[in-house]
Amino acid sequence: MSNRMNNDALAKHLAGLSVRLLHRLAKNRVRRHFRMGKTRLIQSLLALSPEQRAEIETTLTSFLPEPPRPSKPSKPDRQVKPNHQPDAPPHPVPPPRQHQVPTEPAISARALFEGIGVPPPQPFKPDDWQREAIDRLATNDVILSVPTGSGKTYVAIEAMQRAIETERTVIYTSPLKALSNTKLTEFSQFFGADQVGILTGDRRDNPQAPILIMTTEILRNLLYDAAGGEIDMRMDTLGLIILDESQFLADAERGVVWEETIIFAPAQSRLLLLSASIGNPEEVAAWISSIRSTSCHLIHHRNRSVPLRAAYLDPSGKLAPFFRTRDIARGKGFVLHSETKRLFANYEDRTLGPRYKR
Amino acid sequence: MCERSIEEKNLLPAESINVALIAYCMYLYEACQNQNDKHSFLCAPDKFLLHYRPFMPPAIHPVDLLRVLRHQRLTPAIVFLTSRRACDEAIGSFEHRQLPIPPTRSAAITDVLDHMIAEYPSIAGHPLIPTVQQYGVAAHHAGHLPSWKIAVEELMRQGCLDAVFATTTLAAGVDFPARTVVMTQSSVRKDRNITELTVNEIQQLAGRGGRRGKDYVGFVVVTPSPYIDLGPIANGLTNHPEPIDSQFVISYPMVLNLLKAHSIDHIQPILEKSFAQFQLNQRADAYETKLDDVETQLEAYGRRDCADWIAQWQSFNLAKKRRSHHRRNTQHDPPEISAQLAFLTPGRAVELSKNHAIVLRQYRSRGQGAPMLTVVRNGGRVIEYPASAVTAVIDEVIDVTEARRFPWCTPQSLNHAIETLEEFPARLRRLPIRVDQDGADNPILTETLKDEFPCPTCPSRPACQKDHPQALKLRQEKHRLTKTIHAMRTELWHRFQQHVEVLQKFGYLTPACQLTSEGDWARLIRINHSLLITELIRMGAFEGITASLLAGVLASIAHDDDRPASFPGRHPGLTSTLGQVRKIAHSLSAYEEPPLLRWDVAAIADRWIAEPALPWNELIRSTTMAEGDVYRLLARTLEYLSQVYGLKATHPGLAGVSRDAMDLMRRDVLQELP
Repeated sequence: MSNRMNNDALAKHLAGLSVRLLHRLAKNRVRRHFRMGKTRLIQSLLALSPEQRAEIETTLTSFLPEPPRPSKPSKPDRQVKPNHQPDAPPHPVPPPRQHQVPTEPAISARALFEGIGVPPPQPFKPDDWQREAIDRLATNDVILSVPTGSGKTYVAIEAMQRAIETERTVIYTSPLKALSNTKLTEFSQFFGADQVGILTGDRRDNPQAPILIMTTEILRNLLYDAAGGEIDMRMDTLGLIILDESQFLADAERGVVWEETIIFAPAQSRLLLLSASIGNPEEVAAWISSIRSTSCHLIHHRNRSVPLRAAYLDPSGKLAPFFRTRDIARGKGFVLHSETKRLFANYEDRTLGPRYKR
Repeated sequence: MCERSIEEKNLLPAESINVALIAYCMYLYEACQNQNDKHSFLCAPDKFLLHYRPFMPPAIHPVDLLRVLRHQRLTPAIVFLTSRRACDEAIGSFEHRQLPIPPTRSAAITDVLDHMIAEYPSIAGHPLIPTVQQYGVAAHHAGHLPSWKIAVEELMRQGCLDAVFATTTLAAGVDFPARTVVMTQSSVRKDRNITELTVNEIQQLAGRGGRRGKDYVGFVVVTPSPYIDLGPIANGLTNHPEPIDSQFVISYPMVLNLLKAHSIDHIQPILEKSFAQFQLNQRADAYETKLDDVETQLEAYGRRDCADWIAQWQSFNLAKKRRSHHRRNTQHDPPEISAQLAFLTPGRAVELSKNHAIVLRQYRSRGQGAPMLTVVRNGGRVIEYPASAVTAVIDEVIDVTEARRFPWCTPQSLNHAIETLEEFPARLRRLPIRVDQDGADNPILTETLKDEFPCPTCPSRPACQKDHPQALKLRQEKHRLTKTIHAMRTELWHRFQQHVEVLQKFGYLTPACQLTSEGDWARLIRINHSLLITELIRMGAFEGITASLLAGVLASIAHDDDRPASFPGRHPGLTSTLGQVRKIAHSLSAYEEPPLLRWDVAAIADRWIAEPALPWNELIRSTTMAEGDVYRLLARTLEYLSQVYGLKATHPGLAGVSRDAMDLMRRDVLQELP
């Protein structure tokens, strides 16, 4: 298309488009465009400033090859004009925030699914941060804010082991009864059934065991009782309190219980907070440091032990890479894969209903 | 997605009639239920439909989905769907489309299941077992019994299953990893609203993908459903999670328990230890730097002749305005006009827009009281002009004898004026007129205010006049900041004191903030709606109550889900007791949010205890509530009963009844798990 169309050519071109596309062109450019009919829309589009005219013309070029090609991959388009701003996309996917100009070619579906498989069994070797957490627990409170499934439980078990060896007791709290039960089974297998007890609102199984599992509410109540001088619940031998799923601190209804537990936790026992990735672990650590006798050590990373990739599955059964890159990059914005964008646009068009089909 | 209407959704024509019907019913339902809902039918129909038709399946058929996943070796997978019903339907759909797994794997599943059944007998005869064995898929959501969920998790951990269909509502409760996580939605139903998934939630879901030691790589597969937008999901996968905020609230049991252990003087330091206060302090610190900034700016306007010149000037200004109220006509003129008016006497030469003129008369218009001029212009025309039309006053006055009628001067003067005008050169010296910007105040006015205020004669008056608006703004900002900071520092303490006042009013605390004998036992009730329960006990509502009735009442207090359900019949005793409870709860509503008090859930707990021989399945069959919900209801009731049982020292009778209720309740399924 020529660099600058003259008025007549552009008017003729616009007249050939559907009203829907015209509205899309006019969006954010023409005031109250939704009130206008086709003729007025075209007139007001023609009356725009030269820069906006230029934008419209670029967008028009992207409309041209759009409608009747269902299966041809649009990847080549992308490489032909890599410096075209992808604003005003021809379909309603919000434009991705482009932080970096993509330089390397987009990943192909084949490459995305390479390397699936089961690794051979390897002797377990703790990561550095896991060892660091366990060492630090001897003297400090510790917050572990790491991605799901990267080995928080290993730290918990090791820490319990050390506490038991020094004849101190451990309380492990979880937010849900269901998780308590899972942990009971897990810890019983590891330490032996006689070493693990569970406390619920109405039942106490093996309450004299060195490891006690309970919900955080129960621990809070125990701490209330201890403060009121009612029971001595072996608070003086309590060496370690593990709060699993500590991100519940932000739970609208129950968050207060976690706060109370941390405030009233006995000074001599260490706190180990296990949490999924949260945005401000530094702040939580600073808070705990400010109210407890020892400082709180934060271990925080976002690296998953198993890398994660994303794919898009079209209802037709076609799989495409979700992002342009193979692995999910964190904190650097994203660029959706062009194939995914095309498939999703098709899906939306199909589900828009007969009224909008033209 | 939000801007579109229903027709645009993924609906076949035949379906859309049904949907329209459902939608209309739902609309009527909602119109009576909650009129303030943000996502009402009229505001956001698509969100509304998601809300009330939460069983909308993903666009790809579950069987096809699994086939693709198997083909790409992406199994085992966790498929997150919008609702329990969608999960169950996905499982059900496998029966129509044969896709069985090899018999060896079926055998492995049976092995694990047998093992689990030995431990948890309630799994035996679960209706989903054949599907699990044949197709290697299972559903996992809050509607199932905990024992079944444990079995599914165990199967998943052993690698026996290809896919588990789960709901997103309990992301933390899904504690088993898989190779692949399938996401079909970008928003989720919370309470009565639809909210977009947060970055934290999306990462929590995606985090289940990829098993340590069992996978080289994990996958998130996004597949579209009517309720998906790619933006939020992509953002959630790549962005940093949101920071968390404290949700500290002060409750009655907290107040009682703190005051049991500490005197009121020590409470404030304890509250200051909270994360809430920590975060408030940080915000307050930020405000304080802002305040310092404002104060340094204010220092520039420091002391003048009077100690507090800003206030002094403000009241002076106010008095001035009030006095001048009566002379509005003169006060209306803009300063440049009123400065000119003194010069526009008869005989004065002026410059109008193009040419010169001589003023014959000055007067005020009748309607607005605007200053007007009668002038004679070049060519001898006598015309009326507003004074504002004068562009310049010329340093030239001729003699004009005034007259009382048109043309407002004697004919000789008029002739003289016209002649002079014609003789005027093109350029004339303009009279410089000093426009006194602050001279808006009338000299007479300031004269009268002199007795009350020092300002009219004060030497720093011009400075005050100039600086006042800016200084006043700064000072108001300072007051606002000081107030905000103070509120932040003391907010928790104030809320604590409010609770103390309520507890004193009800007699749980003495005026000196010590626990009364009533408060001493009331602090042992540490659950939601504690005030209602302790008040019920004190009013004797539980005198002579039966175990089943007590459990029923506590169940209705404990249950806070408004998911609709039908009821297994009620008897008059329960109805009248609940009626009483409702009255009391209503009277306490100023101090504590009343519970839902649904009698249908009360009837379930009541029946379970009243008929000790009733098998679990029978109970489930009598209600439309899901098994898992009934289990959770009864487990919560048990917790509430055990709290009441904790009062055995002061209320032995009631504690005995609740002990009985607990013993009767803990049977069958409820006994399986601690």
